[in-house]
Formats: sequence, structure tokens, C-alpha cells
Amino acid sequence: MTPPVDRPSTTATRRAVLAGVAGSMAATSGCVSRLRTVMGRERPDPVTVTIKTVPADDDPYALLIARQLSEWLRAAGINANVLPMASEELLRQVLVNHEYDLFVGRYPDSTLDADSLYSLLHSQFATEPGWQNPFGYANLSVDDLLARQRTTDGDERRQAVADLQSTVARENPFTVLAFPDVIRAARDDRYSRFGTTRSDEALGMLQLHRADDGADALRVTTTDERVTSTLNPLLASVGRVGTVTDLIYDPLVRRYRGERYPWLAESTTWVEDGVLEATLRPDLSFHDGEALTADDVVFSYRFLRDTASGERNRAAPTMRFRGRSTLAESVTAPDRRTVRLTFGEETDSVAERALTVPILPRHVWTERTGEPRVGGLDLGGGTTEALVTANVPPVGSGPLAFVSATRNDRLVLKRFADHFLETADTPALPDAVADGAAFEELVMKHVGSDSSAVDLVDSGDADLTLAGLGPGVLRRIGQADELDLLVDRSQSFYFLGFNTRRAPYANPRFRQLIAQLVDRRHLVQSVFSTFAAPAISPLARTDWVTDDLTWRGRDPITPFIGAAGEVDDAQARAAFREAGYQYDEQGRLLGV
Amino acid sequence: MGLLAVVVEVVTAVSLLLVTTAAAVVGPERLRRLRWTLRGRVRGALGPIVALAVVLAINAVVRDVGLELSWLVGVNVTAAIYAVEGEFVAWFQSLGTPAVTTVLGYVYVYGYAFLVTFPLVAYLALEDQRYLRATATAYVVNYGVGLVCYVLFIAYGPRNYMPDMVQSLLYDALPRFQLLTSEINTNTNVFPSLHTSLSATVALLAVRTRDIYPRWLPVASVLAVLVALATMYLGIHWATDVVAGLVLATGAVAVASRVHSI
Repeated sequence: MTPPVDRPSTTATRRAVLAGVAGSMAATSGCVSRLRTVMGRERPDPVTVTIKTVPADDDPYALLIARQLSEWLRAAGINANVLPMASEELLRQVLVNHEYDLFVGRYPDSTLDADSLYSLLHSQFATEPGWQNPFGYANLSVDDLLARQRTTDGDERRQAVADLQSTVARENPFTVLAFPDVIRAARDDRYSRFGTTRSDEALGMLQLHRADDGADALRVTTTDERVTSTLNPLLASVGRVGTVTDLIYDPLVRRYRGERYPWLAESTTWVEDGVLEATLRPDLSFHDGEALTADDVVFSYRFLRDTASGERNRAAPTMRFRGRSTLAESVTAPDRRTVRLTFGEETDSVAERALTVPILPRHVWTERTGEPRVGGLDLGGGTTEALVTANVPPVGSGPLAFVSATRNDRLVLKRFADHFLETADTPALPDAVADGAAFEELVMKHVGSDSSAVDLVDSGDADLTLAGLGPGVLRRIGQADELDLLVDRSQSFYFLGFNTRRAPYANPRFRQLIAQLVDRRHLVQSVFSTFAAPAISPLARTDWVTDDLTWRGRDPITPFIGAAGEVDDAQARAAFREAGYQYDEQGRLLGV
Repeated sequence: MGLLAVVVEVVTAVSLLLVTTAAAVVGPERLRRLRWTLRGRVRGALGPIVALAVVLAINAVVRDVGLELSWLVGVNVTAAIYAVEGEFVAWFQSLGTPAVTTVLGYVYVYGYAFLVTFPLVAYLALEDQRYLRATATAYVVNYGVGLVCYVLFIAYGPRNYMPDMVQSLLYDALPRFQLLTSEINTNTNVFPSLHTSLSATVALLAVRTRDIYPRWLPVASVLAVLVALATMYLGIHWATDVVAGLVLATGAVAVASRVHSI
């Protein structure tokens, strides 16, 4: 390096230049920092909401709700649009990948209990794929209340559940909309007593009586194409209530119309505090002839908690049953017919919910703990074969066994002659189903739409439309002499779910305001043609619902901003402004 | 009524239409000559006809796979189409009457099947085989591009997006055809409308052959317009799908004319 003294003139020149640069930098630095302050601020963009749901062929109500909702949101200056997609895709985007803003769906379980809210809302499940906390909701006081209702009894539990409902109604991670009255069509020349069945209860098929001795098969229609291709009881479904896998897989104890009945277990006894012993019925077997023993039960409980069976450092839990499968701390098998479940602090009645999960054959599922492969490729993704398999043919121990499945055409099940409903005289079972199936085969035909479902029943090619029908076919059912109209009050509700992981839906005030743009009464009239009941609490059809959350013509917590299905634009905008939101010159709501 | 019965019904009806129209349009003289030269002519147009058969076969096989693939790589454009055209189809449908529904329902099923099969018969009866080859080529382009679009774009039709305003008229008025269309179409395959593009292709080719078959042009044009209207009126397609179908038809005919220099 040349010392500067050797070349003074150059140094002087360089110094002068440097001084000049420094001077001009100093002069502009104020401007740059101002520029940075201004440029560095992100301009708020208008809020764009995509409401995901299924197309009308799959569920006309969900789609119509979504469309009505998008209109109400637009009235408040929110750019909302509806994106219909196949139910399998909706499941993938919403429940697995959590890629959504809002979605309209139906709660998939008809046996709703106070403790059902545990898996739906507890923050411990916020990162899991599946029906457990799909909203990504995390609230410490809700977590506390959820835990409290599991460990308390009587008035104390009642209070906890009441507090829970009102907190959830205020916080609004999902907005309960209505419980539908499900419309079905049936013809009773081959089978009868359809009126005693319920749409969201697959077991009801066993209540039917055969009216025509020549009619071996009960033929029902479904618009759900997944029924013909996927029979995995561990997968979540969107909008399918009363799944057919309930007929193929049996639990230890079955919940039926609000009561629990010993099922695979012939008896259950609390042998000491927190320890329950279940005794299996003698000579149980799976559809493939293998014996069902206590080992299978132990395996099932461990498998439901982690389908990777602890082979990896990361658990791969199921997409359903999480509230129930996390209850038992340990499950062991002292002998072939005895299962011993150990629970924590939970009260007996909550702990017994754990007994209603399906029992899987160990010899089938034990090979499904590895990572799924597609064409020999390991795509990883933290999942297991068990969570992606279509599970065809399914091997269960339930009253119906698999015969065949033709994709997008039909699923055929047959009576499982070795089932205890068929063989034993079992007094402790619900009367209506205690004799097993009256049919030899159950044929489920996939149809493209509601009108062709009605058409098949009308022409005598089917006996019953299995799933609920849209209001569009009501008149046709009424006009056809052969058709009986069945209407039953569903136990599972339609709701609007928020992705609380994302702005602005992370903000409970924003969610409240969206809820205030929902006129449930109008929805019930316009979308459901009055075949539904508005509701505020998810427990509205249970006796847990509190008086102040019972629907009485209006929502006391998030009342509709408007009247008769019309949003009051000015008032809605004022409410959003009051919550801290702003509108741009074109009247569009801005995010933050 | 089972699927087989519906298929038999449609095949019978379309065959009747083909025979009567052939007599009137092609004329007895050409048809008689066709009997002697049939084998040679089919052999002459073998290339495009085999290509068409292959594309149809691929179409049938790939349809299920394509649907799955579509959800993997495709873009769901349903909301975008609605944003563009809004409730046009609902408005259009509101103009109808039960008689219109019946007519357009039959046009959609019988009319369409007749429209796309007739040119194969009529052009086969010509000594100049370029028209037959051009027709087959144009169909191949229609199906090929259509298939790619079905993979790239996921779109539900108006009846699936606004069932409150757009009725599934075909299924309500003539429910037996649903058996047929649910076999053929999945409800996400709406963009573009292949019904429209194939019908328009036939009409555009009819323009080119108006000197040879002067009676065919008015029949083909009227039917093509009715099929395009029917797809919207029945709530199956958006206006956007129909426009895209017309664009596809124009392209397909341009390609076919270039290749076979007609």
C-alpha cells in the first residue's frame, strides 16, 4: 500500500472528493430517511375474502349459504367471492393444509356432546390436520374451560360449559348458522319403517323392515362420490354426516340416540378411580374371519393417537376422534377379552366417550405406519399410509361387511352373519337395531344430483335417498304418489369457519363483525325454505345450551346489522370503522 | 329407466335423423355410389379418423385421471367467471318456457349427437376426401385442446354455482338424460364448452361446403346456434364457456383447413 505522504497532491484531491461526497450525503440523508419512512410503510390493501365450499351437486345448502354470505359481505365493502370445489379438495385445502379464509361446512358428527368442543377448539390441536381445531383457534381461557368441563361434575361442569358457549359465541372462531331439517325421499313397497331412521345416523339402516320377501337388497342413493372410493374411517370428511364406515367398524360402546350401549364390549366397569375395564363379547371376529381380541383394541387406541406407532420422532394423529383418542392415558390387555383403560383427571362420563372410537384389525393396519409412497416415491409430508389409504376393501367387525366398490358408481355391503346382532340374544342393545339387518345387501348408488336421486327412487330403482336433498326437489317428491317425504331434525349444524391463523380473521372483532353480517332468519327462509332452525350455540340441540344462547328470533351477542336479509350498508361501515378498520375512496374495506 | 335404455333411445333417434337428413342433403345418387367405394374412402381418410378414435379413447381413459390431475395443477376459475359475467345465465334462463326447455333439452342431446356425426357421413360420400379429413382433424383439435383446458381450469357450471337462480333444467325436465351426461361429463368440465365448439366447428365447415351441400348449411347453422344457446339455457355452461368454445372452433377449423388445404 502506498503511504499518502509520497503523493500529497493526489491525496488532497481525493480528500476533496470525499468531503464533497460526504457533504452531499449529509444533505440528502434527511430525504432518504423520509423516503424510507414513507416507502417502508405497506399500504393497506382492500380485504378480499374467498369463501370455500362444495358445489351445489354436493350440498346445495352450503353453496347457497356461501353465496348469500358473499353478498352480505359485499354490502359492507368487502370483496367476497365464493369458490366451490369437490368435497375431497375442500378437505385437503381447509382441514389439511389450512389454506382458506372462510369456509362453509357442516359439522361432521351427529353425536354432539359438550366435550365435542374439546377437539374442535382446544389450542393443542391448532396445528394438526383434520377436524380437530380446523380454525387454528387459540385462547387460553377457552382451553381452561375445556379442561374444566372434563374434570368437573354437576353444576360446576354445567357452569363451565355455559361459560364456554358464551365465550365462543363472543370470540366467534366459527359462526353456527342453523341445524337443517333433512329432506329424504323413500318408497316403502320393498322395505318399510323409513320414518324411524335418521339421515345422520348410518346405523338406522338396521331398523328397516323387509316388506317384500323377494327384495334381498336395500338400494340407497348418495351424491357423495367418495363413498364409492374411500372407506377409511380415520379420514375426515366434509359435509358427510352418518358415515357408512360406522356400519363397517364397531366401537366398544356405541352411542345411539343420546344413549351409550355396550357394543363390542359386553360390559364396562370402573374397577378403581380412573381405571375402567371393558370385557369383550365372546367369539368376536372381523369380516375376514380373524378373531377380534383385546390386542386389537389396544392397538386401535395407540394407533389413533399416532398412526406412525412411535416409529418417527413426530406423531401422525388421525383426522377424526382426536378429542376421544387423547382421553385414555394408557390402554392395556390383561387377557384376550379384557381391556383396561387408565384415565387422568377426567370424570367418568367424559372418560367413557373414549369407548366410542372404532376398533381396527391390528393385522391390517399395523402395516400402514410407514410414510405413504406414490409410484414408489416417498413424498413424506409427515403423514402415514394409514392417513391416505382409501382402505378398499375395508376389514371391520361391524354389522355390514364389504362386498364391492366401483368408483363413481356403487358400493355394495352385505350382512355380516357372524355379527353379535345376528347371533346372540343381546338384551342390552337398542331394541330397534338388536336383530341386525333385514336386508342381505346394501347397495349405495352414486348419483350426480338430487333430482336424479329422486328419479331413481320414483322409478323403483332405489328405495331411499340416503343423504339429504336440496329444497329444489321438494315439489317433485310431493307430486309423486310412490314417494314418501321424510323430514328429520339433524343434530349437526351448518357453520361458517374462520381461519384464525390469518389476518384479518385473527382479530375476534373482525370475526364478530362478519357474524353481524349474517341474518340467520333470512338464511333459513331463503336457503333452507324454512327446513332448518337457526342456532347460536353448537350445543343448541343438546340440553347443554344455555337460556341466553337459545335462538329467539335474534342473536343477542352478534345481532344482524340490518333487517329482513338486507345489510344496512352505512351502519355496517360505521361498525367496521369503530373497530379500527378503514375504507378507501371506492368504499372498499382495507386490511391492516 | 336404465342407462342402456337411454343409450338405445338416443342411438335410435340419432340414426333416424341421420338417415332422413342424408337422403335430403347428400342425395340418393351419392349414397348409392358410396356403397361401392366405402372401403377405399375410409382407407383414404384413415389417418385423421384413427387420430380421432385415439383422442376419443384417451379422452375416456384420461377423464378420471385428468380430473385428479386437475385438482393438483389446475386453477379454479369458477369465481373468476362469475365475476366476469355475473348472472347472465340466470337472466337468460328466466326468458324460457316449459316448451323451450323441452326443445332445447332434445337439441342438447339428440341435436348435438346428430350434428357432430352427420358431417362424417356426408363428407364420406364425397369423392374429394379433404373435407372428411378436415372434419376429423378439427374434432381432434377440439378434443385435444378441450382436454388440456379441463386439466388446467377447474370450473363448475352456473347450475352448480347459483342453484337458487339457475335450475338444472335438463335434469328436471328430462331427468333420464342425466344418466347419459353424468357418464360423459364431470361437473367440473365446463370451460370451454365442447358442445359449443364442436357444433360451431360443424357449422363453419358447412360454410366451406355450401356449394356441395347447400341444404346442410342452414340445418347446421341453426342447430349449432341452438346447441350453444341450450348449453347456457340448461344451466350447464357459462356464457364465457360458450365464447371460449367459439374461439376454439374457429381455431380448430383454421388448423384443419390449413392442414388439408380446403
